[in-house]
Amino acid sequence: MAWNLLKPKKQKKKKKQTATKQSKQGQNPLSTNLSDNKNQLRSIYQDCSDFILRSFMISGKHQAILIYMDGLSNREEIDDNVLSPLMVKTQEDQSDLQIDKLIKNRVSISDVKEVKTIEDCIQLISSGNPVVLVNNSKTGFSVGLPQWEKRSIEAPEAEKAIRGPREGFVETLAVNISMLRRKIRSPKLKMQSMEIGRYTKTNVIITYIDGVVDKTLVEEVENRLKRIDIDGILDSGVIEEFIEDNPYSPFPQILETERPDTVTGNLLEGRIAILVDGSPSALIVPITFYSFLQANEDYYNRFLIATAIRWLRFILVIISLLLPSLYVALLTFHQEMIPTALLISMASSREQVPFPAIVEVLIMEITFEALREAGLRLPKQIGSAVSIVGALVIGESAVSAGIVSAPMVIVVAITGIASFTIPRYSAAIALRMLRFPLIFLGGMLGLLGIMLGIIMVIVHLSTLRSFGVPYLSPMAPMKYSEIKDTMMRAPWWKLNKRPHLTGEYNEYRQSSGQKPSPIRGKD
Amino acid sequence: MLEKGKISALQMTVLLYPTITATAILVLPATTGNFAKQDMWLSPIWASIFGYLSVFIAYLLHHYYPQKTLIQFSEKIVGVIPGKLISFGFLFFLLHTNGLNLRDYGEFVIGNFLPKTPMIVIILSMAFVCAITVYGGLEVMARASQFFFPVFVVLFLFIIILLVPVLNPENIFPILGEGLTPSLKGALIPSQWFNEFILISFFLPYLNRNGKGLKWGIIAVTLVMITLVISNLFSLLLFGDLTPFFTYPFMDAARYISIADFLQHVESIIMALWVTGMFIKISVFYYAVVIGVAQWLDLTNYRPIVFPIGFLLVVVSIWSTPSLQKLIDFSGTTWPFYAFLFQMLIPISLLFIAIIRKKRSK
Repeated sequence: MAWNLLKPKKQKKKKKQTATKQSKQGQNPLSTNLSDNKNQLRSIYQDCSDFILRSFMISGKHQAILIYMDGLSNREEIDDNVLSPLMVKTQEDQSDLQIDKLIKNRVSISDVKEVKTIEDCIQLISSGNPVVLVNNSKTGFSVGLPQWEKRSIEAPEAEKAIRGPREGFVETLAVNISMLRRKIRSPKLKMQSMEIGRYTKTNVIITYIDGVVDKTLVEEVENRLKRIDIDGILDSGVIEEFIEDNPYSPFPQILETERPDTVTGNLLEGRIAILVDGSPSALIVPITFYSFLQANEDYYNRFLIATAIRWLRFILVIISLLLPSLYVALLTFHQEMIPTALLISMASSREQVPFPAIVEVLIMEITFEALREAGLRLPKQIGSAVSIVGALVIGESAVSAGIVSAPMVIVVAITGIASFTIPRYSAAIALRMLRFPLIFLGGMLGLLGIMLGIIMVIVHLSTLRSFGVPYLSPMAPMKYSEIKDTMMRAPWWKLNKRPHLTGEYNEYRQSSGQKPSPIRGKD
Repeated sequence: MLEKGKISALQMTVLLYPTITATAILVLPATTGNFAKQDMWLSPIWASIFGYLSVFIAYLLHHYYPQKTLIQFSEKIVGVIPGKLISFGFLFFLLHTNGLNLRDYGEFVIGNFLPKTPMIVIILSMAFVCAITVYGGLEVMARASQFFFPVFVVLFLFIIILLVPVLNPENIFPILGEGLTPSLKGALIPSQWFNEFILISFFLPYLNRNGKGLKWGIIAVTLVMITLVISNLFSLLLFGDLTPFFTYPFMDAARYISIADFLQHVESIIMALWVTGMFIKISVFYYAVVIGVAQWLDLTNYRPIVFPIGFLLVVVSIWSTPSLQKLIDFSGTTWPFYAFLFQMLIPISLLFIAIIRKKRSK
């Protein structure tokens, strides 16, 4: 195969790249001469107008500098708790006291770290920790005072719910972590930090619950993340494409969510979440196809209702995938299946239409997709105009002008609504795109073509894995104990077992026999 | 190992069940009815004995040569050159039979639903879908069939439940009016469908838990037997003596379904769902051929030969028979003996030689 020949070359290239990267990253220790350090930092931060360097004297004796980036650190705190206590000349001048002890004694900030290299300095400064360097000392000190403007916590726009917590992740990693930590207070909640991106140095956190998660899975996630070598991470979506199992599939193999409660629920089931600084959506691995058809609300509503809604979603998924192609197949090949009365009314409404059914469907589906895309990107004020244009021009005028038939408008509308009921956007859009090849198959081979198309889709889904977990499990391969949380939503007191993902797992999540009953309350 | 995937015993069953029933429920009611008349519903029970026998033979051979398929252990049993010859014959038989299956499918679809579509389009599209599945490997095939199995079963239950109102129970009498002979005669052809269970030999080495293979193999045979008894019985109760004159009695029966004047002419839906069963059948045979050829030629990977063999399969299905009439004639007269040779005689003689060799070496 051609790519086999190419592979070794590629690997060599990669090795070279990493080699050059490593040599660049040699560690430069701080010099004892303060002006040397000062000059070096000045030259590194040349043309950075937000770089602030303040020279001062500690107790009027030792020369020192304070460095930070404007807008990343809390300036008031720096002035009050770092600069002023250090600059003050006290009576009992401890000239004999070592300078680092002196600093530690005077600075009233809890998070003080020692810095030994220029690189550490840069990294700390960039993440909002001011650094103090002193003359005649090989170690500097960084003070943990990061502070910047952030969005306040709001309800996630993309995942609305009637019942359940209203908070959603924001762009700031620290806030997101705190939200998770507030939900899972056990120290078993682990957060492994990692830096990705040559320039952006984005903080990425792998979080999981120790003792619930499969350790090899954590390693696998770590390895896949470590392999990423890119100049910048803009959103978790970029990471998603780098760590997927099957990059050519239209189906998402990683769940993204903005809800801390969804992440918590998944962590408790032994999954791993990846949080990315600057992105409000967390990634969850490994997942199955059914994860995309579940909303967090399913677990808060009464189980009978939740089960019914899940079934409704299954039906709507099928409709959103198949309805237009079925319509084409029935009209083109299998008219006998339509009851006579309906057939007559359909035929009379199609009398005016000059196109065959498949062309009609394609026109309408593409128009619908265009409307949807337009509505998504437009400012709110114009959005309403688009919907009026869509409803009036396409709904009414196109029918009365005889370009499309009324049943077709209904079919497209139902399909559209059905695709909006899929809780996860990434899965909904994959199914929407697959609709088009199915329309062609339905137009060419009728129901047989659609069936072949479905077989292809199912075979493709069977080949997919998300971090080693078969995409269609627990249906194929069958896992009886997990069916009760996919095909239906069993009551909480029945969901005693965690789903089995890979390798070792912590089987029970709660003690059994918790079915409530009034009799038990008496003893 | 060529195949790195592992399947569960349950998955093996859901692979085998449609493999036998998909074509059996189509043509068997007519061919058994031809010989057994009103006792045709008994024939599958006699025929199933061959199914159990096949499973036992495959299981015992697997027991002697674990981790090996029929293609591999035939060399161990009778020596390299005779083994290769036998394997070649067996693989040719599988390819040929699968070509006939594909042709069966094509004839059925064209005859009933898409009369104007060229045969090659129907056959190629199916062969392509199967090729992709086989390319995906055993696990993919097993998962896909696990997904479609309920569809296939629901389809079957759907037909029989909706047919109940139009049945005529008197058609079944007299039971055993002419003794056992007619039903035994009728069992001859279905027995070859049951002998297709020898394909289990290609799955047993890849089971994730070894001990369960026999149990689930037997369950599969029993399920197939029950299905065929029901399909024969319902065709008989509906059409009576006329059953042999239909080409596809059980599918024709579906045309009688009509509920509340709304649900009618559902045969297209039934055809569409039946396609899933046919898809599994062709894929299983196809997979057996591909993995067999790869083992026969000692290849390290079977994926490069999937598409060439698919091409061969399409060619065989087009060239092996000129028309549906010839196909039915062939599968009613020549094929049972031809199949008996490869599906029964060769495995059973391999088993005997293997037993003798084992005893001698002790």
